[in-house]
Amino acid sequence: MPIKILPPEVTSKIAAGEVIERPSSVVKELIENSLDAGANEISVEAHNGGISYLRVTDNGCGLSAAEVEIAIRRHATSKITGLEDLEHIRTLGFRGEALPSIASVSEVEILSRDSGSSAASYLHLEGGKVSAREKKSRPQGTTITVRRLFQNFPARLKFLKSASTESGHIATLVGQFALAFPEVKFELVIDGKNSLRTTGDAELRSSVAVVYGLETAKKMLEVEGTDGMLYIQGLASPPSVERSTRSYMSFFVNRRYVRNALLARAVETAYEGLLMTGRHPVAVINIAIPPEETDVNVHPTKLEVKFRNNNTVFTALVRTLRDTLAKSPLPAIRSGVEDASAQTLWGQFPHNAVLPPLRAVGQLSSSYILAEGEDGLYLVDQHAAHERVLFDKILLQRAQKKPEVQGMLEPLAIELSTQQEQAITACGGLLSELGFTLEPFGERTCLVRAVPALLNGNNLNEAIRELLDEIGGEQDTQKRDIKAAQSLACHGAIRAGQTLDSGEMASLVKQLERTSQPRTCPHGRPTMIHLSPQQLKKEFGRTG
Amino acid sequence: MKVSCLQENLNKGLGIIGRAVASRTTLPITQNVLITTDQSQLKLAATNLEIAISCWIGAKIENEGSITIPARVLTEFVGSLPSDIISLNLKHHTLELKCGRYEARINGLDAADFPPIPQVGDDFSTKVKAEDLKLAISQVAFAAATEESRPVLTGVQTEFEGSKLTMAAADGFRLAVHRANLIEPVKEKVAMIIPAKAYHELNRLMGNEDQEIEITLNSQKSQVLFKLKGIEMVSQLIQGNFPNYSQLIPQTYGTKARIDVAEFLRAIKMAAIFARDGSGIARVIVTPGATVEAGKITISARADEIGDNIGEIDALVDGEAAKIAFNARYLADVLSVVKQAQVSLEVSTPSNPGVIRPVGTDNYDHVVMPMFVQW
Ligand SMILES: Nc1ncnc2c1ncn2[C@@H]1O[C@H](COP(=O)(O)OP(=O)(O)OP(=O)(O)O)[C@@H](O)[C@H]1O
Ligand SMILES: [Mg+2]
Repeated sequence: MPIKILPPEVTSKIAAGEVIERPSSVVKELIENSLDAGANEISVEAHNGGISYLRVTDNGCGLSAAEVEIAIRRHATSKITGLEDLEHIRTLGFRGEALPSIASVSEVEILSRDSGSSAASYLHLEGGKVSAREKKSRPQGTTITVRRLFQNFPARLKFLKSASTESGHIATLVGQFALAFPEVKFELVIDGKNSLRTTGDAELRSSVAVVYGLETAKKMLEVEGTDGMLYIQGLASPPSVERSTRSYMSFFVNRRYVRNALLARAVETAYEGLLMTGRHPVAVINIAIPPEETDVNVHPTKLEVKFRNNNTVFTALVRTLRDTLAKSPLPAIRSGVEDASAQTLWGQFPHNAVLPPLRAVGQLSSSYILAEGEDGLYLVDQHAAHERVLFDKILLQRAQKKPEVQGMLEPLAIELSTQQEQAITACGGLLSELGFTLEPFGERTCLVRAVPALLNGNNLNEAIRELLDEIGGEQDTQKRDIKAAQSLACHGAIRAGQTLDSGEMASLVKQLERTSQPRTCPHGRPTMIHLSPQQLKKEFGRTG
Repeated sequence: MKVSCLQENLNKGLGIIGRAVASRTTLPITQNVLITTDQSQLKLAATNLEIAISCWIGAKIENEGSITIPARVLTEFVGSLPSDIISLNLKHHTLELKCGRYEARINGLDAADFPPIPQVGDDFSTKVKAEDLKLAISQVAFAAATEESRPVLTGVQTEFEGSKLTMAAADGFRLAVHRANLIEPVKEKVAMIIPAKAYHELNRLMGNEDQEIEITLNSQKSQVLFKLKGIEMVSQLIQGNFPNYSQLIPQTYGTKARIDVAEFLRAIKMAAIFARDGSGIARVIVTPGATVEAGKITISARADEIGDNIGEIDALVDGEAAKIAFNARYLADVLSVVKQAQVSLEVSTPSNPGVIRPVGTDNYDHVVMPMFVQW
């Protein structure tokens, strides 16, 4: 096959594909530009997941008529001049790629006015080419509107998820910017509905209140520490506030949102022993570090960062967080350590094996049921066992479309994060099939009118928010349904530490016998361990 | 301190204050009881910082003084002594106890370190009959939430106005409201949220004795004091606003049935056997009577693997036929605390709350939210 040089329309699209993956990538680039332009008010508007319409408006320095023309050219940037500048980037943008990349995969309008011009310049671009030029009026600042994203790029378009999922990505992203820039007033409107609005009062706690809710914000602990070279500042949750996903940890390096496994690991290390396994803190961590100590030019999306000295950063973050947590009022140690020796003593069995009839004989540590079967002793983990019972019941009720629902006498108002709010929209069908009646109620609040009966008497607030966290991030509907059932089962199940009477124990064991997989909980952990008469004999030295 | 008293009295006193001793605590001294001379009596006190209970027992005081002693050791030791005179003699921080031929020395902690038992002033004060207070507590406190995510709901809204005392508790699914009379009218309207746990404790302390209970509030409105015969209990109040509950009580009904409480309770308990493994759903069908037949109520439950049951009881029905499902436990809870022989059950639609009221008195409303089921 002959080798050909690709025409520029093709190469520009390939390059664009690296920078612009989805609507939220456009939003990210545009907000970064606004921030680099010194804006302190930025509003974002999206329709149909940002696929048909996106607009970012700022009150930054703006561009002159001549600058607008240059800005849309590839590798045009006002932010660096040469290679040596890459060593100490202080702006969010530096490649001069964002605007041309966006323009090559959508229809773009730019309206901008700088302080020296008497009118604003307006450009309309189609397929990266200018199709209209005008003078319009607007105050200083820039508005960029992006329409029909990827319309000329079917490969990308196919890869996009539903509009509500894409809106969810945008909401998450704007939330992260709000956390990183508490001094900037952010506003996000999705499909005409206000989804986020920060005050811009420069208080990180206010931003946390908007993004994660007031209750969480109030409890967050101040984080501050330095290590000569780097300065760490932010907010971190006390051990009493915990989440079931890692997505409530945000890291900003020199105010740039980054994903970095090292930083996440440092946070988890600092909370070790304070949170149960599988639980994660809420944290907003800002790290200021000389730019030459980092490299952000790692990935086209600028989302990754490398540190010259990983160890220093890791140690400093762990130590700062430990200091913060040591001052927290409730340093209750909870550990999920398992006794490895139990493995050798206790028998194991195939997951799906049926249970022999069991007779509950007593409770141990208010957490385990001792039960006798024809083939020896069983120790049943009451929480795990009940989780299995409820999990099966939830799946069955859903399949039969017969959820058992308890109405609320008075609707309960629950504060939600933007992601959780999006999850309600995206998973409305699933939630009502499970037995929830949730109604939107103002910004980031919903009213709970009915709940699955099995949640009755539990902390509904926590159960609902965690359920939304679990299902919000899951695209695969089958996996999402399983996750929902797991989360509900976990919240509805009796806890370890709860004393049961003999009737309750007997009933639980009976119900467990009838489940599909009595020996494992929905997460795959064992619900019980077994000690056979042979093992007992051996342990007491009666064989041989 | 040098005092003597009867073993029975000390034993009884320790039993009374025992429930206020902290069990798990970060402040070890709250696992102690405070023993102090108070005029011609011996005062015993314990606090877990949520409630404090004090009681006074007769004693012969030779020397005044006070000390705190680990509750468990003291209670167990005094409990196993014969019924005789006990002499208590404090030497430094060690309390020496002698009773007949038995003696013990128990190390204590300085009384000055004991958390001060709150002093409640007389800004607000009223009196109520123990019998009335007991009934109100037993009909209301169980409906408070046990789960603590909304702290105000773990308490009982307690309102004093004129010569009326109104108590209300709700857990999101049900609401109980009881109205009682005060012996002395109050000057101005006062409302407070008292932890349901404190009320349960108070009910235990009141026993079956005929007495008047004095209720006072401190000036910061943060603590309430209940004065019984020889016993005082102080409870912290829950801060916050209790939801406006009166709007949750339905004003109209489509169907009203008068039912015998004992029979209704029996049918509910039977349904609970079958509903136990599920979410406790009891289905209630109300059928009005025809010209010759009496009206009736059927109560049924079913569990897929176990089977089902149905019970039928006579009822005086006013209005249309109706069906509605409730959590069997909620019905059993309320029917168990009603003193009258009959209750009325008012319902409108399967998704609107039902109201249960004793027949023959208008001092109690109990509202229960139904479960939504497929019929
Ligand atoms: N909202 C804005 N206000 C003022 N100037 C802007 C704005 N958006 C873009 N510009 C100007 O246009 C130039 C090009 O922007 P573009 O985003 O394409 O590149 P960049 O920000 O320099 O680098 P990167 O590709 O890393 O984002 C910027 O350097 C800046 O001078
Ligand atoms: Mg840029």
